[in-house]
Amino acid sequence: MSEVVATPVRIKRLIVESLNLEGMRPEMIEDETPLFGEGLGLDSVDALELVVALEKEFGIKIKSQEIGREVFSSVSTLSNFIEGRT
Amino acid sequence: MDGPGRLREPVLITGLGTIGPWGGGSGLLAESLRAGAPLTSEIDRSARYHLPEGACRACLVPAGQLGEWLSPGEARRMSPPSKLAVAASRMALRCAGLTGGEEAATAVVVATAFGPSTNTEALLKQILFEGPESASPSLFMESVANAPAAQIAIALKARGASLTVCQREAGPLIALGTAAAEIAAGRAPRVLAGGVDEMTPLLHALLDRFGALARCGQDGEEMARPFDRRRTGFLAGEGATVAVLESRDALAARGGRALARILAWGSAFDPTAPPTGWGRGHRALARGLARTLQRAGLSPTDVDLVVSGASGSRDGDRLEAAVLRAAWEGAPLPPVAAPKAVTGEYGGGFLGAAVLAAAGSPLGPTPGFGEPDPELGIVPWDGTPLEPPSVVLATSLAAGGAAAWVVLGQGMG
Amino acid sequence: MAGAGGLVAVSGIGAVCGLGWGAAPLWEGLRAARAGFAPIRRFDPARHRTRLAAEADDPPPELRRACPGWRRLSVADRFAIFAALEAVSGAGLAARFAEGAEGGGDGEVGVWFGSSTGGMLESELFFSDFLRDPRRARLSALVSQQVNGPGDAVARHLGATGPVATLSSACASGALALGVALEAVRSGEVEIAIAGGSDSLCQLTYAGFNALRSVDEGACRPFRADRAGMSFGEGAAVLVLEPLARVLARGAEPLAVLAGAGSSCDAHHMTAPDPSGQGAAAAVEAALADAGLPPEAVDFVNVHGTGTPLNDAAEWQALRRVFGPRAEGLPLVATKALIGHLLGCSGAIEAVATVLCLHHGELHPVRADGEADPDLPVSLVFGEPLPLPGARAAVSTSLAFGGSNAALVFSRWTGPAA
Repeated sequence: MSEVVATPVRIKRLIVESLNLEGMRPEMIEDETPLFGEGLGLDSVDALELVVALEKEFGIKIKSQEIGREVFSSVSTLSNFIEGRT
Repeated sequence: MDGPGRLREPVLITGLGTIGPWGGGSGLLAESLRAGAPLTSEIDRSARYHLPEGACRACLVPAGQLGEWLSPGEARRMSPPSKLAVAASRMALRCAGLTGGEEAATAVVVATAFGPSTNTEALLKQILFEGPESASPSLFMESVANAPAAQIAIALKARGASLTVCQREAGPLIALGTAAAEIAAGRAPRVLAGGVDEMTPLLHALLDRFGALARCGQDGEEMARPFDRRRTGFLAGEGATVAVLESRDALAARGGRALARILAWGSAFDPTAPPTGWGRGHRALARGLARTLQRAGLSPTDVDLVVSGASGSRDGDRLEAAVLRAAWEGAPLPPVAAPKAVTGEYGGGFLGAAVLAAAGSPLGPTPGFGEPDPELGIVPWDGTPLEPPSVVLATSLAAGGAAAWVVLGQGMG
Repeated sequence: MAGAGGLVAVSGIGAVCGLGWGAAPLWEGLRAARAGFAPIRRFDPARHRTRLAAEADDPPPELRRACPGWRRLSVADRFAIFAALEAVSGAGLAARFAEGAEGGGDGEVGVWFGSSTGGMLESELFFSDFLRDPRRARLSALVSQQVNGPGDAVARHLGATGPVATLSSACASGALALGVALEAVRSGEVEIAIAGGSDSLCQLTYAGFNALRSVDEGACRPFRADRAGMSFGEGAAVLVLEPLARVLARGAEPLAVLAGAGSSCDAHHMTAPDPSGQGAAAAVEAALADAGLPPEAVDFVNVHGTGTPLNDAAEWQALRRVFGPRAEGLPLVATKALIGHLLGCSGAIEAVATVLCLHHGELHPVRADGEADPDLPVSLVFGEPLPLPGARAAVSTSLAFGGSNAALVFSRWTGPAA
């Protein structure tokens, strides 16, 4: 039986891969760590890069209006958003 | 300023930073030029873009040059040319003794022939094969021609003018002249000027398919042979070279010394040139060269050394030779050096060589040259020691028709 | 020599864009606030995130007859040559550049161009084949791929032998090219500068800006409350610059004076502008200083005004810094609302729009879509052309991706001094 990977884990892998975060492993990112500003310190272009990766990974379309601080605040908020769409 | 390209006060070159196939630093470039050996390595042909019997070698930057100059955090999203350009800029400032981070008024003029090719190729593949919705925003933002200049400004907090020149092989000397004009007109106290390019397998394969690159001769060696009867093309190169330009007053105010001086600059165009080649307009170009020298109050016979942009290109070298002979009007030419036989074409190595020559760094022999071409009548310098030149003329002729020249003098005096 | 330090005139203009081929259809469309946005035809927009652009129509047949080697010219090359020929003709210089004539002469004519993508549209077709199977290589499609293609094509067509250079600093390219050309004419390096820009639509930039979510699904609405991004355009524009004395000496009438140019860099971020507007303000102030004019002499601004939330907000801050309390009432002309963002050409075509406004003594309007943004209390010209026959000087701004900012100051030609 194939392993079902939890959404937060998939998101963390995408963050590390698509943003070229050297020296970082997915398990080092906590569910509640702020992604932007403090915490991981990503910026607006990183958010958009992550959007492209998320759309591909989860087969969804993310509207420009949805790319905001609430949804992209942490892995946890992103995960809730994605699960609501899939 | 008294007139076009004519300077009341010379513009000084106070620093030089360079990364290329010679490694990192102008000292290594100078050594490579003195040794007179080409700096080639195998290009990656695994993507099968290359013609089976095509060119195999290029002048590539070895790994590990950037760590000293860039933190992983800032380099994370930078394209290869941006990384090279930022590193070379920091190197140039350190060479100039400008480590205080006071570049707020500094302008940046960068030339690139092809821009960030790795990023452009990756982006095209995403858009054309995966679909437009797969386009990566960070690849795109670093695929534009002005990415290196923009990253230099961000890294140095340089808020003066920012210009990116795209004029193929004439770009670096046009950038140097444009930068000198900013200083001479008092629009900037300091300008970083130079050239950057990266040589990807795809770009190399395309240049080869256009017949531009050096091919293995009967001796089995792929070499650039400037002015040689057997020349087959140039060696494709990559790297970044950045010079720090300042006015004499600015340098005097902070104390320091100049490597070289810019005495004049100029450029011209040959409308007989096809878009990807060289034309027949050597007479008009020779007049352009002479006008450039006149701006320094000089005539061709005042030139002690020509640092020629000749690269081993069949048509390019032919035109260069015709321009030089026409400009000298039958008078004997001074020594003509052809450093692209060592550095390759693109990436600014040639620009670095010209500055080093004016700074008194001895040039070595011209690798690859063995048989003069009677049609050209030029024998590039064989490395015999020369008196340090007082007047150096750097020349470049671009595919497509543009030409640019810069007249350099010694740093002191 | 004539150029040394004297005023530099705009003696001719040429343009092509979504509003038509020629400066006359451009002006007519701008006056009528006609927006040229429609679903893209140059490539299939179906899988792009947005669909619209202001594309140019097919070229007039006489252009094809005028251009040897037509098939090898990219769309951007053809735009550029058309605009250059129109500008040269309007300047009264057609005979000089006619085939067989001395043309560029002895280095007296230089060409300075801005472009972002050159012949990339055509190259995408090549790469689509080549990257899948390198044996399917028709190299001819790449001949004019280079960003310097359009500028070189113009120089070749006109027989120019002076300096020729292409600048590629994203959205500031065209304005920066005009600035370098201005200096070349002032210093006497050339007698005639052919300066402008050209860009055609291509998938690379369309997909790229869409990946950055910078593109409005509809027509862009600069400075409005619900603005949602830029709109794309394509085309070319050329201005002929000469010493004013030279233009008058041959009995020609200047369209305007290019009084000054200035530039700076935000040094802030690759895609986002410095929100304080200080970089953009520095460019405008440098241009005004170059022109020897105070901010009070400026009667309108042709804004960069892309319609993205961040660009317009930053530009407003810049206007406030330069013009102080006058900024709110200063008429703003938002040309991109009608012709879209022409990228490397934008600074050049908006320079042409600025010259047209000064020359005709009226500012072109845009449509008042949506609500005003209370945070950006600007005075955009809406609905009808605004008569401003006494306008003395105007600023045109270009604030680029990557942070390069360029500003140009044009002053109205009022006739020779009594």
